[in-house]
Amino acid sequence: MPFSELLVELLLMPILAFVIGLVMVLMMRRIGARIQRRVGPPVLQPIYDIIKLYSKETQISHGLMHEIGIIMAVGGYIAAETLLPVPGLDGLADKGGAVTLAYMLMIPALGMALGVGQCANPNGSIGISRALTAMLAYDIPFILVIFGASYVYGTTNLAEMISIQQQQGVSSWGIVQMPILAITALLILPAIMGKHPFEIYVAPSEIATGPMVEMSGKFMGGLFVMQCFQLYTAGVIFTTLFLGGGVYWITFLPKIFLVVAIPMSVAYLFPRYRTEDVLRLMWKWPMLLGLIGLAVVMK
Amino acid sequence: MSKELNLWLDDLLKDIKIIQFKRKNSRRVRIDIAPEALPALLELLQGRASYVHLSAITCVDWIEDNEFELVYHVWSYETNSLVSAHTRISREPGVYLSVYDLYTPAAFFERDIHEMFGVYFEGSPDMEKFILTEWNGPPPMRKDFDSEAFVNQTFNWEEYHPQWLKDIEAEGGGITTRPEDVR
Amino acid sequence: MNELDKIPVRQEISVADGSAKRSNPLANVFDELVRFCQSRSMFMLHYCTGCGAIELPPAMTSRFDMERLGIQPMVTPRQADILLITGYVSVKTLKRIILTYEQMPSPKYVIGICSCTVNGGMYWQSYATAKVLREYIPVDIYIAGCMPRPEAVISGLRDLMGDIRSGRADNWKRYFQNYDYYLGNQQKLFGEDWQTPTDIIAEAEHYGLMTDQTLGEHTALLQKHQQPLEALEFSLGEKREKIQGENR
Repeated sequence: MPFSELLVELLLMPILAFVIGLVMVLMMRRIGARIQRRVGPPVLQPIYDIIKLYSKETQISHGLMHEIGIIMAVGGYIAAETLLPVPGLDGLADKGGAVTLAYMLMIPALGMALGVGQCANPNGSIGISRALTAMLAYDIPFILVIFGASYVYGTTNLAEMISIQQQQGVSSWGIVQMPILAITALLILPAIMGKHPFEIYVAPSEIATGPMVEMSGKFMGGLFVMQCFQLYTAGVIFTTLFLGGGVYWITFLPKIFLVVAIPMSVAYLFPRYRTEDVLRLMWKWPMLLGLIGLAVVMK
Repeated sequence: MSKELNLWLDDLLKDIKIIQFKRKNSRRVRIDIAPEALPALLELLQGRASYVHLSAITCVDWIEDNEFELVYHVWSYETNSLVSAHTRISREPGVYLSVYDLYTPAAFFERDIHEMFGVYFEGSPDMEKFILTEWNGPPPMRKDFDSEAFVNQTFNWEEYHPQWLKDIEAEGGGITTRPEDVR
Repeated sequence: MNELDKIPVRQEISVADGSAKRSNPLANVFDELVRFCQSRSMFMLHYCTGCGAIELPPAMTSRFDMERLGIQPMVTPRQADILLITGYVSVKTLKRIILTYEQMPSPKYVIGICSCTVNGGMYWQSYATAKVLREYIPVDIYIAGCMPRPEAVISGLRDLMGDIRSGRADNWKRYFQNYDYYLGNQQKLFGEDWQTPTDIIAEAEHYGLMTDQTLGEHTALLQKHQQPLEALEFSLGEKREKIQGENR
């Protein structure tokens, strides 16, 4: 496609992701509030939070690495959004595939590790080591899922996966063709989104929010933005692989919101697992299920 | 079993000449003893009479008699009763022996009493301040330390006489007890 | 009953001036938008001193939900806007409160909940509590009571939201503008060699809030006694062995 169109798409995809992510963050807080029998924040609350954080007058920075870390954290997700095809906008989806996406999704955590290491706060170091361990834990089932999906569709190109599922109807959706892998993906979805019961890296009352302990003002605003992207990316990946993506926004949006809402509804009922328990859990059940699903699919 | 131990304890303690012994009810015993004999009594109670739990050590300042009274409360799980051993030491100097070798928790109580009353316990492992770490004055629980006078001297008070109070006073009402009169 | 009606619910202790208007009308709109968002999204520090802290969980849980006002608890001073001083302030706690307050990024607000922060409260005769909190850090709103009920706490917070929207809640600037006064009171309690890791005078210069009352005799004492702060020792294994060696 012509270069100017590509440029417009590259600009538009992260912006769309941000806006949809804001609504997802609101949905997450509202679901949590309703489960706790409260009302929950007003509709524009995520926007108020982000504007307030960006308008702080004091900015505490621990050096260049700290700032680069935040830029990597948000930038990694922005780069990942350009690889995720959405209705009408394909971006770079045909140039990079699911494997590039998996690599891109590791950059935010590594960026945060760089930034938090510069902070020299022991709470932050503990938190980020737990975050990287948890990422190691869920990445293996994640790769199994991507591998299985690529095998079934015969391609790693996400746009092609969507078009295959759309053309052949509901019976060719991922969730029908490879249900065990879909269950595996649903199990690791809370870990990708960083919610209970795999929320060990935040752990607010134990290690003072772990990696975010020294982030203030604009950095915290950046991390809030990153959370919007995080929820959006998790939802869109699952929808693309298993629920057929979407040709029109009106069928796409309910799917991604449903995919994000299911772990959220369960998240607020659980306490959090310890780090070694997360590792053990993730390498036991989702990996087993992933391997069984792969075996079923490759038979 | 516990009743027998109580009877045995009463008989034993009645025989010892240098203490005064009074059993208040089935769970409380009060003993008044000279300060030289207290550690031996505690060792006897701990070793022979099953009083293995030191509940507290407290201190009372008898400023007219010029004495500190130290009370050692020990509890027995077998007889379910508390023995309070009272002794008096002279206020000047306030020095006494520590029972840390008998009961390890005594270290904390003695540290607390040292900080609040100024009584020094020889043999206690650590006599550092831990509650009032920013305090540089005299031991504050002594009766010759007037906390209120100290406060009035050191701190300022919030002065405000707002308009609505002046309006009420102009009509004849107001506060009955002004804070300045009480201080 | 007649006299009780005359006592207003909200009482000004110090008169705060409104915000300065900027010349560019677009900048005014932007300032208003920013202040509106700041008032609707406040992060309170989950560090509540003293006994009044018991009134915060009811204000946060389902009956008197504070999250619908946009207030959430955050755990580090770096992320929080509001410092809640609930309950009496002992001298030991006051040191930590000042350390925490100076670490928070501005604009920051201090709320003194319970009567002990106003004028000593129930513990006014105690030798180890600070009586008037306003002498040590600038306080935006006091909520009197012992303890105030959650409805009173929420009403006070809403008053603070109104103050932020109108631009009157800028007491954090007062800390930089009158630092000598605050430092003098702090030195009276903690001694002459009291120092914090935060360099307030440099920050005051950076924000352009230096006045002739920022520096004075007390800051001269501070600069005389100031030493570079060293990192604390962080050892895990050796100390335990030392204690075990002592016991045996």
